[in-house]
Amino acid sequence: MQLLDATTLARLTGVKLRARAVMEGVLSGLHKSPHQGQSVEFAEHKEYAPGDELRHLDWKAYGKFDRYYVKRFEHETNLRAVMVVDASASMGYRSGALSKLEVATTLAGALSYLLVRQQDAAGISVVASGRAHDVPARASAGHLNVLLDALERVSPEGTTDLFTAADHLAEKLQRRSLVCVFTDLLDDRADALKRVLSLRQRRNDVAVFHVVDPAELTFPFDDPTLFLSMEDERRIEVNAREIKASYLEEFNGFLEECRQACAEADVDYERVRCDEPLDAVLLRFLARRQGRRR
Amino acid sequence: MTFANPLALLGCLAALIPLLVHLFDRRRPKAHPFAAISFVLRSQKRTASRLKLKRLLLYALRTLILLAIPLALAKPQLAKEAAAAASARGPAATAIVVDASLSMRWQDGKSLYTRARDEAREALKELSAEEPATVLLCGPDAKPPAAPSFERARLRALVDEAEEASFGPANLHRCLELAARALEDSPLPGKRIVLVSDMAAHGFHLEVPPPTVADGKGGRVKPEVVLRDVASGQALPNAALVDLQVEPATQVGPRAFQFTFTVRNFSDTPLTDVEAALVVGNRTVAKGFVSVPAGGTARKALTHRFEAGGTVQGEVALAPDALADDNRRPFVLHVPEELKVLLVNGAPAAQRFRDEAFFLEPALTSPGSPVHTTLRDAEAGLREDFSKYDVLYLVNVPAPEPDVVTRLSRFVEAGGGLFLSMGDHVEVAAYNERLRALLPRPLRDVRTAAERDAPDADAHAERLSQVDTAHPLFSPFTGQAGEGLQSARFFRYVLLEAQGEGSQVLAAFQDGAPALAVAQRGKGRVALFTSTVDRDWGDLAIRTSFLPLMQRMAAFLAGALEEREELRVKVGDSLVLTPPKGESVAEVVGPAEGVPFHAQEDGSVRVGPVPVPGAWQVKSAKGETLSALTFAAVLDGSESDLARVSPEALEAYFGAETVTQASTGSERPQVPLWTWLIAAAALAFFCEGLLLRK
Repeated sequence: MQLLDATTLARLTGVKLRARAVMEGVLSGLHKSPHQGQSVEFAEHKEYAPGDELRHLDWKAYGKFDRYYVKRFEHETNLRAVMVVDASASMGYRSGALSKLEVATTLAGALSYLLVRQQDAAGISVVASGRAHDVPARASAGHLNVLLDALERVSPEGTTDLFTAADHLAEKLQRRSLVCVFTDLLDDRADALKRVLSLRQRRNDVAVFHVVDPAELTFPFDDPTLFLSMEDERRIEVNAREIKASYLEEFNGFLEECRQACAEADVDYERVRCDEPLDAVLLRFLARRQGRRR
Repeated sequence: MTFANPLALLGCLAALIPLLVHLFDRRRPKAHPFAAISFVLRSQKRTASRLKLKRLLLYALRTLILLAIPLALAKPQLAKEAAAAASARGPAATAIVVDASLSMRWQDGKSLYTRARDEAREALKELSAEEPATVLLCGPDAKPPAAPSFERARLRALVDEAEEASFGPANLHRCLELAARALEDSPLPGKRIVLVSDMAAHGFHLEVPPPTVADGKGGRVKPEVVLRDVASGQALPNAALVDLQVEPATQVGPRAFQFTFTVRNFSDTPLTDVEAALVVGNRTVAKGFVSVPAGGTARKALTHRFEAGGTVQGEVALAPDALADDNRRPFVLHVPEELKVLLVNGAPAAQRFRDEAFFLEPALTSPGSPVHTTLRDAEAGLREDFSKYDVLYLVNVPAPEPDVVTRLSRFVEAGGGLFLSMGDHVEVAAYNERLRALLPRPLRDVRTAAERDAPDADAHAERLSQVDTAHPLFSPFTGQAGEGLQSARFFRYVLLEAQGEGSQVLAAFQDGAPALAVAQRGKGRVALFTSTVDRDWGDLAIRTSFLPLMQRMAAFLAGALEEREELRVKVGDSLVLTPPKGESVAEVVGPAEGVPFHAQEDGSVRVGPVPVPGAWQVKSAKGETLSALTFAAVLDGSESDLARVSPEALEAYFGAETVTQASTGSERPQVPLWTWLIAAAALAFFCEGLLLRK
């Protein structure tokens, strides 16, 4: 399987193309989709008992055996999924071909593709600086274009505000849903991540896609550098080589804290490097979920 | 501090470079919007203090590097106190006196003398260009030094060539006087004496005035004195073998000797179980251990019996210490050869105490004696083959027949010894007729001084009054040892004629009549004792001197007596040797190169001064070793005491205003200062690299 690297994806203009490319890559990698949504596949017969829905009675079986049998299917409910995309200014950082926001929207689009294709409902919620722009979840094929158009229009601005995103979703989600959060988690407030993870307590299925730029992981700066904040007025001049070790220690500690917090909250945590193939990220994510289901 | 290349100091300005770079480095940092700036801020806050310290260290190290290199290139030198004092007083003619006495051979890894030579070179180096100098090596034979000159190379060569200290004492006072005299040859008004010594007290004579030099105005002034203590003020512990007595150990057997040596400990700590060895030739024949209290002495005796006679060289040696040379004491010993004596008894008697040889035979054959005696009566004895014996004793023997006399003459001419003693069987006329050629002096008649049994015999008996104690035969009988001879009474004796060919009277009675006359006949010797060797005519036989006298007589007649005298001389002294007749001294050889010797008018030879301890042999013109003249040179014990004169005492002696205690080599850095600076720069460079890596 040919995976789509970041450079190749960057050549594709727009979220629609990139999301489709990623989705196709994912489909060719899947042996069997674990997301069946409203499945019509027959699973087994069960002898009728009072209370069973009569519409599932198998009349043909009754004709053959003169007994009532009820058909059982693999899934009987529709999946509702919400793609939460952090569109703060820090998500606009890029050291390679794709910015963190581009990676986030591509992943959100590709996942929406997959969901809608199997008749699950998908919606999006773009959050930044305390505001949220939502596209409600629907399962119709035409809805996909709406989703992708909305993702296309997202641009990085404002500050990271995971509090607002979490509160907004908690208020909005009436039914149990799959919530996929695409963010860099660079919210300086202490309990921001916990607030997001609290969605899990409302019986939602939460997955965090932690988008990280390679430069943030390796800190490849040598000369004296004036670092500027992307979300506020902070700036600092340092000799990057002198603080590199200390920075890496701090940042890796932060990554580990995030992973640990997600694990404790029974939330899927997927770290995404901006320079890695995104179809591989989705495959890894789906495979893990399939593993959990079994 | 002075600098050999002062211009290189300009390079020190480079030390400002780090500061200037810090002040004027205005590189614009590259602006970079960064998402994870919170972590950058946190890291910067965490490492700020450490980074500040690191920058400071880097700045200091770089400044040190840039400062140390030009400083090293400028070759800084620390000015010595002495040199500073000298320059303050103006140029001075300088005499460097290097103590070369035995005590300078003390070593603790490096000998004091080696340090002294280094000090002398250093002192020469410190002199300014306008100061003339001279060098005096102060040993036992110190000679006046040359006038001060500017020939530094010659003076350095003089110091370099004198590779070893002497084995003798040094009179530092005399050397300082010689140096002062030499300084008077310089027209410079300043005079300086640099004394390089261990400052051991034995070299100084603080009771006599210190040296002075003429001031050019008819007066005398003290020269400036710079003291360079090569021992750096430290105590110099030492132990030494200060005495060795060698005596026959008759209780052990013939040819056995007891070596009694004295060890003195000059240090403050006691010595326990120090090994002492008796070495003969190259073989250790006896060993012992000796313990000596701090500052005390101990005596120890080792005994050895020699297998054969002859001249033996050896030494008693203690386990070596810092001054090893005085832990050995050489000796030359003449172990007596066995003497074969034919004792012809002219008046044997059945009653032992009446026998003529009753006293003589035991005296000759006493334990430890090298004499082997064969006793015969007159008839049998005179028939013996005389050539089998070294000495014949004819005691109270009637005048022998002419053929016997012929054999006797032949025996003596060939080198044999003949002892004749008188008695009732001796007929004066017959002796004179038949033995005239052999007798030292012809016999005249028998004189009776007193009847032995008469009540007034004591008053009239003759006694020995003129004994030639200068002669080897009687040399031990001086003082109390001579009482045994002087107390002997003689009632009857044979008078001798006044003249005799080549005769010598070694002992005479109070009336002047000879008691013992000796003469050389051919190669042999004849001794004539005018009384008896038993108690018939006198009572010498029961006196304490009888036994040693008779044994020495046998040795004398066999020509071995003189050889038994041990010859010993102190290193640095001379001794007079008397070669055997017909021999002359051609060479004196020993542990070092030959010793000078001068023949004197009386035929003796003055040898010395002897430079090195050990056994020295004298060679004749024929190339043969004259073993009788082999002598031992021993060290002067005074040099072993390394007690030092205190700096205060020296200052009081030389005058506080003229003396300077210079620092010695051990206190000064041996490595030049510039190498330390280079090392510091290299270290700083290394540390900077380490800091940059972190």
